[in-house]
Amino acid sequence: MRFSDQLRFNSQVLARQRWRTVLLLLTISLGVASVVVLTSVGEGARRYVNSEFSALGKHILIVLPGKTETLGGAPPLYGTSPRDLTLEDANALAQISNIGRVAPIIAGTARVSHGSVAREVITLGTTPDFFAVRKLTIGLGKSLPASAVDTASATVVLGAKLKHELIGNRNPLNQWLRIGDRRYRIIGVLEQRGESLGLDMRDMAIIPIRSAEQLFNSAGLFRILLELKQIDQLDASKQQILDRIRLRHEGEDDVTLISQDSMLSSFDNVLTTLTASVGAIAAISLLVAGILIMNISLISVSQRQREIGLLKALGAPASLVRSLFLTEALMLTGSGALIGTTCAELMIMIALQLLPNFPFYAPVWAELGAISMAVGCGLLFSWWPANRAAGLDPILALRGATGGSHQ
Amino acid sequence: MNLDDSIRWIWCALLTQRLRSLLTLLGVAIGISAVSLMSALGEGVRHYVLAEFTQFGSHLLAITPGKTETFGIGAMLNTVRPLSLADAQSLSRLNGVEQVIPVVFGTAAIKNDNLSRHSNVAGVGPAAHSVWRLKLAQGRFLPEDDLDNARPFAVLGSTLKQQLFRDRPALGKNIHIGSVRFLVIGVLAPKGQFMGTDLDDTAYIPVARGLKLFNRESLMEIDLVYRPGISANLIRSRVTQHLIARHGLEDFTLITQDEVLKSLDEILQMLKYAGASLGLISLLVGGVGILTIMLITTRERAHEIGLLRALGCSAAQIRYLFLGEALLLALAGCLLGLCITAILLLLSSWLLPGLPLLLPAQMVLLALGVSTLIGLLAGVKPASDAAAMNPIEALRQLE
Repeated sequence: MRFSDQLRFNSQVLARQRWRTVLLLLTISLGVASVVVLTSVGEGARRYVNSEFSALGKHILIVLPGKTETLGGAPPLYGTSPRDLTLEDANALAQISNIGRVAPIIAGTARVSHGSVAREVITLGTTPDFFAVRKLTIGLGKSLPASAVDTASATVVLGAKLKHELIGNRNPLNQWLRIGDRRYRIIGVLEQRGESLGLDMRDMAIIPIRSAEQLFNSAGLFRILLELKQIDQLDASKQQILDRIRLRHEGEDDVTLISQDSMLSSFDNVLTTLTASVGAIAAISLLVAGILIMNISLISVSQRQREIGLLKALGAPASLVRSLFLTEALMLTGSGALIGTTCAELMIMIALQLLPNFPFYAPVWAELGAISMAVGCGLLFSWWPANRAAGLDPILALRGATGGSHQ
Repeated sequence: MNLDDSIRWIWCALLTQRLRSLLTLLGVAIGISAVSLMSALGEGVRHYVLAEFTQFGSHLLAITPGKTETFGIGAMLNTVRPLSLADAQSLSRLNGVEQVIPVVFGTAAIKNDNLSRHSNVAGVGPAAHSVWRLKLAQGRFLPEDDLDNARPFAVLGSTLKQQLFRDRPALGKNIHIGSVRFLVIGVLAPKGQFMGTDLDDTAYIPVARGLKLFNRESLMEIDLVYRPGISANLIRSRVTQHLIARHGLEDFTLITQDEVLKSLDEILQMLKYAGASLGLISLLVGGVGILTIMLITTRERAHEIGLLRALGCSAAQIRYLFLGEALLLALAGCLLGLCITAILLLLSSWLLPGLPLLLPAQMVLLALGVSTLIGLLAGVKPASDAAAMNPIEALRQLE
């Protein structure tokens, strides 16, 4: 029997038992589709986080005041320490050759009011470099003046949402508003941009760093964002930063450095593990489908024993009978896996239409894994029934009298 | 045919095809154990996290400076309207308030002779001892000094004590936190992490000293314990009115323990159900398995059905017989699945005693309910096929 004959033989068998075939295809495609769809959600989440981080840029290093030596703990995000990190520290770090832009940040909450409208929002004090480092673009007016590096001035740049809530649709430029108990002139409005890493830039007011020192009556920086010129010198630069801080802080490097890489890779690990385990749980359904295939194959071996007896009487060797049953399982699981993957891709396409911001994407390893798991289950679970068919005694089988037959 | 006979008939039918029945219910069993294990895992995590949060008692209210919707980071930022120590003191005189802990958190270098370590420093009131359920290993906790003018005492977490003093005694020794000298009066028993902060690697000092150390005007948080029996809403409105009277406007954020627990619980419940529904996919495949096998069975047993009909069984009775068979398969699968789950849970309690996996009773009932439903749904089509058979045709189908 040629291979093409085997295929035709099997398709006839499958077509004859339409219901059975359809249900088996349903179970396999259900399993494969759920693996692919679920992993695509996990992979989408991973890509989303990745793009959020890379929006910040790979060259960014964050300096927090304070440090702990606790092993494996979270960095001390509250950033309070006896010795403040100051604008002077930031300027000293700017001297390091591999450091390009430096954006020191003072952050605080304050009541921002215009006329009778008031909102309690986060106010950032920073330098003009901040806009370049965070890739913020000005939608209207201009950015902080170049003098804001070291001089206080009563100027403010508003986030798009905050501008809308305070001023409405009127022209905001050169209007005065009040932050805390001081007055500031609006010189620019940020272009609309979403939330990034938990900070909603649309709902913020940005003032020169020296003004923020006055407003909050504190010289302590919340963070310093550093932009490295060459990423491959990351470790050397980190060391230089710590040395410089130690020089200025009486022999103590009491700061914590966070690079995008370290944050990104820990997020990446967590999300990849999560995706893989969700996929694995969904893949249990393929195991169940495999058991069903075994059950059905056993039934069909006993139902078709006359046919098997005839084949053997005509001279078919045991190996041919075995390969007939195995190819049948292979055809079933293979096409089931294909249908499942196609359905999953369709669902992902629909999901992408509905939620365009979330990058659903079925990773290739998940698709290949699901397909090979389905086919592997099919082969594994039909091995025993196929062997049983191959081992049938032709004469008894022709008579329909071997064990395992139905009564 | 009475009920007793029907059950015996179904039982025999399943037993004669032992292997087939076993494989069918194995499919359902794997599905059920996937669902119940996932929900046991979810429930275990939920209990673990909630226990983490309720260890501080339930009549808690936290006040943070700044009124902003940006969740959680308000306390770390500067503010033009600080929450002062005087605010905390005045709150303690409020009706219904039992204890008040002003809190400021930070990091500092802590030195003992030549040993030094950068660690967390918590400036707290003396009430932190009882409210945060801190257990002392040696000495005592911060005394009830005047809040503004507390003596420079420090209580060390267990890790910190080990790092600074090794095995030598720490009580009565002087340490430097930042550049300020503190007298060690107590050492805490190990407590572990909370929200990413290692409480064992922390030095506890009087709050006024902490504010001075970090050169801050504003507290990061005021924790407030109110009398049991007062509703959270009442205390919330009292505190709000009191602070507005002091500050002139609502420039602070209140959050009660109940609210934290409620929102956490909602998230964790959702996670649990999401996990269980992942297992549901396998259960669904198991259900389709029952359907397929039952369809094959009715066709094989056409002769038997014809005979039953000829002997006077009504179509409805045949339908019930086959429905019952599907149902019994599903329920047996469910029981097997629950047994597998129970064994795995027992194993996990030996291997992972840290994470208590729990199978809630209502999940067991739900599993039984779902598998009944699956059995019935999978049985409908085969049973109506069987019932619709023409008895004469069926009898004739003798191969």
